[in-house]
Amino acid sequence: MARGEIELSKLTKQFAELTAVDSIDLHIPGGEFFSLLGPSGCGKTTTLRMIAGFEQPTSGEILLDGTDVAYTPPHQRNVNTVFQNYALFPHLNVNDNIAYGLKRAKRPKAEIRERVGKALELVQLQGYERRRSSQLSGGQQQRVALARALVLNPAVLLLDEPLGALDAKLRKALQIELKSLQQEVGITFLYVTHDQEEALTMSDRLAVMNAGHIEQIGAPQDVYEDPETLYVADFLGVSNLMQATIVRADTSACHVALDGYELETRGTDRDVTGEAKIVIRPERIELEEHGSPSGPNRIPAMVERVVYVGSAIQVIVRGATGEALQALVQNTGGGIPYEQGTPVQLHLPVDAVRVLPSGTGDAPSLEGEEPDPETVAAG
Amino acid sequence: MTGVAEPRARPQPTTRGPRARPQPTTLTRFRGWFRNPWGKPRFLRVVTWAYIVWSIVPVLIAVQFSFNATRSRTVWDSFSTRWYWGDPVDSVWHDPTLRHALVQSFKLAGADVLIAVPLGVLLALGLARWRGRGSGTSNFIMLFPLVTPEIVMGVSLLLVFSHIFTFVHTGTLAQILGHVTFSISFVVVIVRGRLFSIGRQYEEAAADLGASPLVALRSVLLPLLTPAIVASAAVVFAISADDFVISQWLSSGGPTDTVPIQIYAATRAAPLPSVNAIATIMMVSTLLIVTAGFLTWRFFTRGERRAGKAAEDFGGAFDLT
Repeated sequence: MARGEIELSKLTKQFAELTAVDSIDLHIPGGEFFSLLGPSGCGKTTTLRMIAGFEQPTSGEILLDGTDVAYTPPHQRNVNTVFQNYALFPHLNVNDNIAYGLKRAKRPKAEIRERVGKALELVQLQGYERRRSSQLSGGQQQRVALARALVLNPAVLLLDEPLGALDAKLRKALQIELKSLQQEVGITFLYVTHDQEEALTMSDRLAVMNAGHIEQIGAPQDVYEDPETLYVADFLGVSNLMQATIVRADTSACHVALDGYELETRGTDRDVTGEAKIVIRPERIELEEHGSPSGPNRIPAMVERVVYVGSAIQVIVRGATGEALQALVQNTGGGIPYEQGTPVQLHLPVDAVRVLPSGTGDAPSLEGEEPDPETVAAG
Repeated sequence: MTGVAEPRARPQPTTRGPRARPQPTTLTRFRGWFRNPWGKPRFLRVVTWAYIVWSIVPVLIAVQFSFNATRSRTVWDSFSTRWYWGDPVDSVWHDPTLRHALVQSFKLAGADVLIAVPLGVLLALGLARWRGRGSGTSNFIMLFPLVTPEIVMGVSLLLVFSHIFTFVHTGTLAQILGHVTFSISFVVVIVRGRLFSIGRQYEEAAADLGASPLVALRSVLLPLLTPAIVASAAVVFAISADDFVISQWLSSGGPTDTVPIQIYAATRAAPLPSVNAIATIMMVSTLLIVTAGFLTWRFFTRGERRAGKAAEDFGGAFDLT
């Protein structure tokens, strides 16, 4: 297995009155691009800081390639960090910033020069050696921070919202760059972000965190398409949530009753009975002409509002069941297709509708692997 | 510009339309200068310059008479450097009392800087990085020497040295201890401010890159603290050279009297322009030290200022004195 395997075991961090990280378990194989995704205050940065060594865990283990490093001071850990605000040393130029770690490791001068040169090449900043950080743009500073961390050949690179301070366009470009950089160097990237798009774009796998524990772990498409909890469904993009009653549920298909309409949804292996929430992504709702043949999973609705967002057109509809739903229609250049007040028919495809257990989010454990009922078990 | 500008930009509230516009009299023009909210801040300038003139003119007069050719400190005769070194008896250079006072003042100020600044930096590091119980209290107590009346501190230090630490006799050692006692607070306040503004991120970055805490202190924190250290050294030098009360209480007389003490004593007897001369020397040297400190600060923070985020205002540091 590649270097840089991380294993967190019952990792907990308590501050004076707040449990920032609540007994989380996480396994990241070496060489993976893994994201911790969640809103501010969910404990993702504290988790990263514990792995870096800036915070000492209250309890639990941090195994790095099999060794518990929870109580190793940060300067003795084989991990490096790209900080949110880069923390480039303002009194040193680009070259000395990148060489800082190598000098601390007392590498020979020739080796330092060679490795700094390679690192600069890696982040395409040749020729900037003599600049100070104040003479660099945000994106360039970000690259220097990356080079400074990567030049030490760490087993794991920790990234704490490294793109947060950049403008949207540059962020998009750097997302792709970061991902290809990770594939090039082949080490574990642990990426902390509150930006769901960033996490979905770059990660091999990601964990959605909420209030100190992990809600769901999985590949981006799994977490997005198949949210396990209400919280995940809500946090990852816009979700249409509807209250429904389970008619019958098994692993092949579920049938739910929705105010007189019966819908078939994807099967679930979760134990769901009674009241439940169902969820569908806006881009999966299909709008059909009023008067189209009605059938399964079709609900009449009324267009309430049409919002032009550029690449797509957002249509807010109110279904006959009473819920306001959002549908996203690709902008194909034909103008705004629906007017306010037009009756339409919604088609909710079977494989696009998911059943969530009622009240998930602050929910009991789904798989029962964890003794702590607060913690949703990691997959 | 004010009276004849186009109507929209005109400041006078009395001129509503073209017809109602009266010829600007001296008074309205004058009022317009001060009332026009879009104009230059003339009122602020007047006040500022009035204060500067008020505070600097007496000093300039004192400096002028230090170059007087006669023994008068009030009637100007002609320019001479007699009171600096020309006069074989009464000049600063030849009068042993004045010369000793000058040496003593510089000795105290120099020793104060050498002792108080390193101690103050260490204290500031400790206080700024100490989280938990007691840190708030000790941070607050650090400010006590700043607000304690100097006379109280002088008397209590004298009592301490004459009753408890009796091995410290009045004189240079006691004076140095006294100066260090009250100047440490200034160092702590200035350096701690800088520590808070640079935050913990650079230390963390250094630790992340493999620097032990001591190495991080030397290779990252101290370079970043340099402007604050230089600023506090300049402040300490200035307040130590300026100090009268504590130097006086802890002096053993004779050669341990400092310049302020000698000036005070001389003005009570028959003052000569040599008093002005020694005061001028003190003022100019303090000014040079502070200017050097300021230039060093400018040099070390040039990157930060270019980025538009100067961590701390050097002038702000001096507000405390």
